[in-house]
Amino acid sequence: MSRILDLLGTIWEIGWLRGLVVGFVTLGTVMLIAAFTIWFERKWTGRMQNRPGPTERGYAGWLQIFADFFKLLQKEDLTPTAADRRLFGIVPPIVVFIVLSSLAVVPYVPQGPAADASVGVLFALAISSLMVFPVWTAGWSSNNKWALLGAMRAVAQSISYEIPLVLSALVPVVLAGSFRLTEIVEAQAGWRWFAFWPPGPGLVAFVLFYLATLAEANRIPFDIPEAESELVAGATTEYGGMKFGMFYLGEYVHTFVASSLASLLFFGGWEGPGPDGLHWMLAKALILTGSVVHVRWTLVRYRSDQLLRLCWYYFVPAALVLVFAAGLWRIFVGGVA
Amino acid sequence: MVEVAGLRLPAAITRRPRPNPYLRVEDYEPEADAMALNMGPQHPSTHGVLRLKLYLDGEICFKAVPYVGYLHRGVEKLLESRTAVQSVPYVDKNDYVSPLTGELALVMAYEALLDVEPPPRAQVLRTILMELQRIASHHLWLGTFCLDMGGALGGGSSIFLYNFRERELILDVLEELTGQRMHYNALAVGGNRHDVPPGWDVRVRAVLDRIEARLVEYEAMTLENHVFLSRTVGVGVLDPLLALEAGVGGANLRGSGVDHDLRRDAPYAAYGQVDVRIPVETAGDCYARYLVRMAEMREAIRIVRLLLDGIPEGPIGALKPPRNVNAIKLPPGEVYVGIESPRGELGTYVISDGSPTPVRVKIRPPSLHAVSLLPYLCVGATVSDIVIILGSLDPILGEVDR
Amino acid sequence: MGAWIDTLHAFSTTLRNVGRPRVTEKLPWKRLRVHPPRYRAGFALTDDEHGEIACIACKACENVCPSQIIRIEAERRDSPVTGKKRAYPASFVLDMNACIFCELCVQVCPSDAIRMRTAWQLPGTSREDQVLTLERLRAHAREGHFSEATSSGLRAMQDPARGTPGTGGGAP
Repeated sequence: MSRILDLLGTIWEIGWLRGLVVGFVTLGTVMLIAAFTIWFERKWTGRMQNRPGPTERGYAGWLQIFADFFKLLQKEDLTPTAADRRLFGIVPPIVVFIVLSSLAVVPYVPQGPAADASVGVLFALAISSLMVFPVWTAGWSSNNKWALLGAMRAVAQSISYEIPLVLSALVPVVLAGSFRLTEIVEAQAGWRWFAFWPPGPGLVAFVLFYLATLAEANRIPFDIPEAESELVAGATTEYGGMKFGMFYLGEYVHTFVASSLASLLFFGGWEGPGPDGLHWMLAKALILTGSVVHVRWTLVRYRSDQLLRLCWYYFVPAALVLVFAAGLWRIFVGGVA
Repeated sequence: MVEVAGLRLPAAITRRPRPNPYLRVEDYEPEADAMALNMGPQHPSTHGVLRLKLYLDGEICFKAVPYVGYLHRGVEKLLESRTAVQSVPYVDKNDYVSPLTGELALVMAYEALLDVEPPPRAQVLRTILMELQRIASHHLWLGTFCLDMGGALGGGSSIFLYNFRERELILDVLEELTGQRMHYNALAVGGNRHDVPPGWDVRVRAVLDRIEARLVEYEAMTLENHVFLSRTVGVGVLDPLLALEAGVGGANLRGSGVDHDLRRDAPYAAYGQVDVRIPVETAGDCYARYLVRMAEMREAIRIVRLLLDGIPEGPIGALKPPRNVNAIKLPPGEVYVGIESPRGELGTYVISDGSPTPVRVKIRPPSLHAVSLLPYLCVGATVSDIVIILGSLDPILGEVDR
Repeated sequence: MGAWIDTLHAFSTTLRNVGRPRVTEKLPWKRLRVHPPRYRAGFALTDDEHGEIACIACKACENVCPSQIIRIEAERRDSPVTGKKRAYPASFVLDMNACIFCELCVQVCPSDAIRMRTAWQLPGTSREDQVLTLERLRAHAREGHFSEATSSGLRAMQDPARGTPGTGGGAP
């Protein structure tokens, strides 16, 4: 027993090995949390619509997600005849890879993430912005006009909304003076969460970040690229079976990771009444994810050009003003040269 | 308002430059890439099996060709070999969202041929049923409209399920009266087939109270909602002259400013006894049609309440109940009867030569005229808009194809 | 800007609905909603006042059915109960695969024989399950659960010579 503890201690010392272990643990946990998010979405949506949601598999239907997972696994793996086989097949794993990679720099515990990069925020946002490529490739390689329409809309939307996303994420960076996520959270210690202090710019920046995340994740009200009523499933129309399952899971993991980022950047991360730690981090991320779910099932969607107009006419100028305001605060109030 | 040929039209009618629906694709020079997109009969949002061949310039449509007939079942031909006693169940299946209006149109045509007037109790009951059917139909319309906008997995489905929850209440009430939730076969030549069961009016009133309260909730989700407004305001503007030339009616016509409603202008059943207030909007876009239908729902609730207060006593049929298939013989003649269905003017034209079955029964479906507007309305709209426009016209493919 | 604030109004509706009771049922395990008495589905051939089959094979239902799903073969023999000769259906086949549940067969029956039922579970495992023969129709009659409508009841409701009915009208 003591030899195992020694081994663990040795692993903990070696930086890259520690990162690997923490990374795998994070991956597993987040996948389970994504499954929980799907369950929560289906039950909460059901409640909103006066119906119970899944009830059959497991108590309150908690096994339904796993049942769906196995159902997707055993489905026939279809590739359309006229589709580009290699591109078509490579896309879903890339989606999962991108989404899970961004987890490397997201700290869930005060001890730090799997890889505590000094440019943590940038890395997370840059990795998730790579999502444009698989979505576009999916639409193109499907050889399906409807998928192409969806992919074009998705690309336009994703690259447009990256700007308010990054700019609004810059506000806590400027206020904290560092890109490292652990340092940003430490700068909010003592209940000086950036959403509320300084009053004003922080909250607006959070709202912008939230809305830009909705747009990046293609959630309603910005989900025109995968508008079911027009395009069946947009860029991913031709995908079935586990390929679709990977997109599906990727979407939920992306939502959860973005919610985690929002809690880290704006809501003090693992701080809460009582002892700090993982539980507060998870609670905040889950509350934000729950609100994303609720928004999805309440509002209808914007048209493609309308949401681009929202981005360029309203969100980008607002985000620029916010970064400027954050800088001014830092100089004059924060007392930093 | 100006008066043109007996119809009141908005004063400022500008004849908009109308797109050419017969534009040849070769003659069009696209700015971006021209693409032919088939919004095929199987599609999540075509309200039935409608095929729309869209020619897109980028994402803007420059030509739209609707193909109908996927749901054709030969109802009119079947009716040529069915007697008056047997015919009513067939027209239930045309406009399957509001079957009672189809039944009324057919039954009124036969009654006009026979020169039979249903008794007052039947007339009032018929009017109540028509208005209840109008509320149910508009609930379904609003649900599917928001479904087109917000998706099967999304906010649209919440509004959809709420509307169906209320529609179920009306269907329950109609089931209590007739025995079926859809395809009622509630009307017969000469009157109604079912009389009011005890306590029915109490339940109808309770249902109306519930629906009236819930309408406020739907409006909370749609009326001032920025997303809803962005999707519907200014989209699919229908020129009133085009609407009149195409022969549409109902909310499509009244949303463009034409103050015309058969319930007030050519009253039938018991509509002469009630003062039907017609909502009219002048904008002509999808939002105007939405407003008209919401107002029509409220007006229908009001009419039902008025009529429930005073259902006259007496029989519910003017002819002896049929004991065999040839009990009702149609005299020779031709007649056309048009009534105001939730989608417009639903008409039935019957030609009879005195034989047991009619020579020809032609049903004038309002949705066919609405679908005929699509080549005009879709030009200049993006694919997303086309889905909304189609939804706001409220076509039911069952009656388009029969 | 006001419209964006009003957009939050949508959440009041969805949040309010979270607390409301469910409107769906866990069919087919549990069924809470009861069909009203006039609900019409399924068929039965009932007895007359002597306890034998009321159907006299007059074929009024076969002729009136718009979908032409009824086939009757008639025979005349002595009744075991009254001793007199009367008509019986030798075979009565009703194909529910094509039935449109219009109730016209009930409307025209002169002897109150055919009635519809309020059975809410009608599925079978084959097309043949949906074809009702004379034995199955008689078995349904023994099971009961009839719809309120009988031919004489409907005719009484629809009679133009009927006076003031009150709010009633319905089958005995």
